[in-house]
Amino acid sequence: MNDVAFLSMILGTSTVAGVLGAILGLGGGILLVPLLTLFFGVSLPYAMGASVLSVIATSCGAAAGHLSSGLANIRLGLFLALFTVTGALAGASLVGVMPARALQTLFGLALAYSAFTTIRQLHVEVVDSLVADPLAQRFGLDGVYGDRVLGRDVAYHAVHVRAGAAVMFGAGLLSGLLGIGSGAFKVLAMDTVMRLPMKVSTATSNFMIGLTAAASAGVYFGRGDIHPVIATPVALGVLVGSFIGTRVIGRLSNTTVRKLFLPIVLYLALSMLLHGLGVLR
Amino acid sequence: MTPERAVSRVLFLGGFLAVALMIGGLAALELRALRTAHPLDIAHVVENREAGRSVDVFVSVPQLARALARWPPSPLAVIVVGIVVLLATPAVGVVAALIAFAREHDRRYVVICVALLVGLVTGFFLNVGG
Repeated sequence: MNDVAFLSMILGTSTVAGVLGAILGLGGGILLVPLLTLFFGVSLPYAMGASVLSVIATSCGAAAGHLSSGLANIRLGLFLALFTVTGALAGASLVGVMPARALQTLFGLALAYSAFTTIRQLHVEVVDSLVADPLAQRFGLDGVYGDRVLGRDVAYHAVHVRAGAAVMFGAGLLSGLLGIGSGAFKVLAMDTVMRLPMKVSTATSNFMIGLTAAASAGVYFGRGDIHPVIATPVALGVLVGSFIGTRVIGRLSNTTVRKLFLPIVLYLALSMLLHGLGVLR
Repeated sequence: MTPERAVSRVLFLGGFLAVALMIGGLAALELRALRTAHPLDIAHVVENREAGRSVDVFVSVPQLARALARWPPSPLAVIVVGIVVLLATPAVGVVAALIAFAREHDRRYVVICVALLVGLVTGFFLNVGG
């Protein structure tokens, strides 16, 4: 395969990853790493390096759009990112001390339960009549976004803020221990635990994933895992894709986004359980 | 300017600048390969991390600075400057948020931004996962 064809195919794949990442609040690594390694023959360290870069590029493109449209909640993102980053720092410090596999099993079970909850509320467009959490009011976590599908402004209140923050800390802990992304956990903590609208959850997650990925990116760069030639089409594709994704999400309902998100949760729950139980390595 | 608008602007400009540098560097690299009639054979290089690493990958800022100091600068070094800009953009976004919150006299979020920046810098040196 010549250079132009090779780069064009990576560009196309990354664009799709960027569109999905911007809609689902994920960095695209879940899609990019297997595709780069299995279909393009890219070595795993380069694929992982490209994945970290794609998380930041998705965050830049998607969060820029989501913040200016009002879909992403900056206060909520910064407040929760504090717990994720703290958890990640704790996890990184506890490598070899904490039982990573037991934690993986625990989170696999939590994800499986979240999948069950997601199925139960699959057709819930917006949760109404929630009593605001005093902590949410104190930190200004409640908000309003203009929903084009519903044709009105939707006011939302964050509930169970402490539980949401605890899940964020746990997700960070797992990230620090295992070096994996945690976009799906962030979305689930906001959607399932804090009962925020799905689109607000994915848009705010898009802002947060860039912050947590930035903490680890230096390590990948220092190890030489971010190959410049692979990084360029990935960053360009993901950035363009995420701009498209921010346009697309405005036309989707919360239930549609949740339906798109469900297979990712099921896949992650299964993968984490199998790794945690030692079936997969 | 609201914190949302300030951060949105930083993320957009950072992403745009990074990708522009990366595309410029990659185009220069391809042109050089065409001129010397030696194709890059990227598909082969990326298959083997060890083979590609010593020639193609910059892993430190001094190494990058040396490559940029030469004239014409190495196209790969230009791409890596783009990568560094992209990696730094989220942290610059937090700085922009901090300034915007400070202007709004929102002390609570100024403290949160400072704590996040400390966390990001610590994580950078601690090998923290995403």
